[in-house]
Amino acid sequence: MNTNQKIARVLLTSRIRQLLVAVLSVTFGISMYVFMNSFMAGVNNEQTEITFTSMAHIKIYNELPEEVTPIRTGASDAQTVRMVSNEQNIRYTEGIKNADVIVQDISTIESITGITRQLNQNVFIRNGVTRTSANLSGIETLEEDRLFQTSDYLTEGDLYDLNSRSNAIILGTGLARSLGAGMGDMVSISTSDGVTRIFQVVGLIETGASGADKTRAIVSIEAARQLFSVNRSYATEVLVNINNYENAREVASEITRFTDYKVEPWQEGNGQLDSANALRDIIAIAVSLTILIVAGFGIYNIMNMTVNEKIKDIAILKAMGFNGKDVVEIFLTQSVVIGLIGGITGLFLGNIIVRIVDRVPFEIATLATLPVDYNPRDYILAFLAGTLITLLAGYLPAKNASKVDPVEILRG
Amino acid sequence: MNALSVYNVNKYFEEPVHFQVLKNISFNIHKGEFVSIIGKSGSGKSTLLYLLSTMDTDYEGSISINGEQVTGLKQNQLATFRNEHIGFVFQFHFLLPEFSVLDNVMIPALKLNQRTKDEIEDMALELLGLLDMKGEEKKKASKISGGQQQRVAIARALINSPAIIMGDEPTGNLDSKNSKIVFDIFRQLAREKGQTIIAVTHDEEFAVNCDRIIELSDGRLVDSI
Repeated sequence: MNTNQKIARVLLTSRIRQLLVAVLSVTFGISMYVFMNSFMAGVNNEQTEITFTSMAHIKIYNELPEEVTPIRTGASDAQTVRMVSNEQNIRYTEGIKNADVIVQDISTIESITGITRQLNQNVFIRNGVTRTSANLSGIETLEEDRLFQTSDYLTEGDLYDLNSRSNAIILGTGLARSLGAGMGDMVSISTSDGVTRIFQVVGLIETGASGADKTRAIVSIEAARQLFSVNRSYATEVLVNINNYENAREVASEITRFTDYKVEPWQEGNGQLDSANALRDIIAIAVSLTILIVAGFGIYNIMNMTVNEKIKDIAILKAMGFNGKDVVEIFLTQSVVIGLIGGITGLFLGNIIVRIVDRVPFEIATLATLPVDYNPRDYILAFLAGTLITLLAGYLPAKNASKVDPVEILRG
Repeated sequence: MNALSVYNVNKYFEEPVHFQVLKNISFNIHKGEFVSIIGKSGSGKSTLLYLLSTMDTDYEGSISINGEQVTGLKQNQLATFRNEHIGFVFQFHFLLPEFSVLDNVMIPALKLNQRTKDEIEDMALELLGLLDMKGEEKKKASKISGGQQQRVAIARALINSPAIIMGDEPTGNLDSKNSKIVFDIFRQLAREKGQTIIAVTHDEEFAVNCDRIIELSDGRLVDSI
């Protein structure tokens, strides 16, 4: 410890109460930074998780090309008139006829963590006299479960019952309610082609997205293929999950090389999720930075007071041969110490607050407690931002201290 | 060799009105001389001392200390120069109140950083012993009496063995007994260690016992006796 640091230490420890107030303002600022960011990240994660319970990172499906070549072309000469009545774009193919090939091809891409096929169609479900439309999904239970943790959302029954019985069906809780159907009840499904089959309810599912829960019905993909009389490799969509959902765009463009079907990363058509996440992050940072800046003003104030209080000491030090740089060092060291102590205690306090919030009951949708995230990055950033602001707040008073004219003070 | 030469120094105050405090001051002080600067209030003697101390740099003319011209040096160079060559004793002792007596004495030497901490501590203890302050080293500077504080300030002024010791009314705040002690210490330092002493004083007795008196009147040098 050099002389300047020793002087800084004595000056700092001689006024414990002021030191405490200064440290506490940093502690508070940094803990709020940690809390705000952890909370927002938690909300974002929760949002994303809910989103991805029913939505894959990348979806491959058959879509009409955006550019449709018109049947009518311009007349060859002015004498001729070409007429086409009832012009229509006709979809020659529906769904993906040979989904197995796509699955095989893209499973070589490393960042892909899971692939599942789905066969989705709108159907009518009837239970006695109640009839309602529904979204029937034929799923590959094992893969689906791996991608979406579907079995976690089953309130009753077992997802894998779909495999053992070809007439098993799982209904969304909302759908079951509107049908008045419960476990073990028989419901009949009618396709748009007029085929009707009876299924038995073996499970109920609730994902928290109530829109989906009101229309969702799940059968095994084999049962669905049978129902719609399509071939064994048929699927309406191939869903892909990757290791980091933020890279969906890049991986999607990679998949495009293997197939001509439409490859859609989740951000397309879900811009609102993307922007909501970004906005929440901005709010969190804005609020926490504001708190840190206020804490910075607190330190600025306290250090200014200290400089004024110690102006005689500064004059003596200068008379004894301490130069401006020494004085800056003496006072800046005090701010740095305040910043470091406040920073470290702030991280701990922040962590404690986050843990408490993590236990606050919040029973809405699938949540049980308020969502938070424990990300070391938030802690590192909070610490850096906090110490940086203390440094800035401490520098100005220190600079003022270095400009003290000893003659003026010592002559009195 | 002159410990101090002042050549043609003029000093003005701009506040509250333009005013010439020092008028064409020139004099030399030899090494080992014990000099008093006297004069009535407002004669400019304290102002002169602060010019000599290198802390006030706003003047015309030139000042050399130990053969080195200090006029025109930068603030940081002057700080280093003061640290090494000048010791101060002020009227109101001006110790750092939060530090111990020993720390107060050691700080200028720690700043100079030419000796180890242990050597400095030994020197400081020796100086305090010399000034009859044994046993008070660990006390806080704010917890000792005025006379003791002034002795600590003198020990602090001596720690770097400066060529010149400057005092701004070093006995101004002390009773006659303590004044005598301080004077005797100065006398002894000038005589035995060859250190130059310059003290601004109101104290007649103090002044007449010096080697030389420099008297100021209305900013002019009256006589060097």
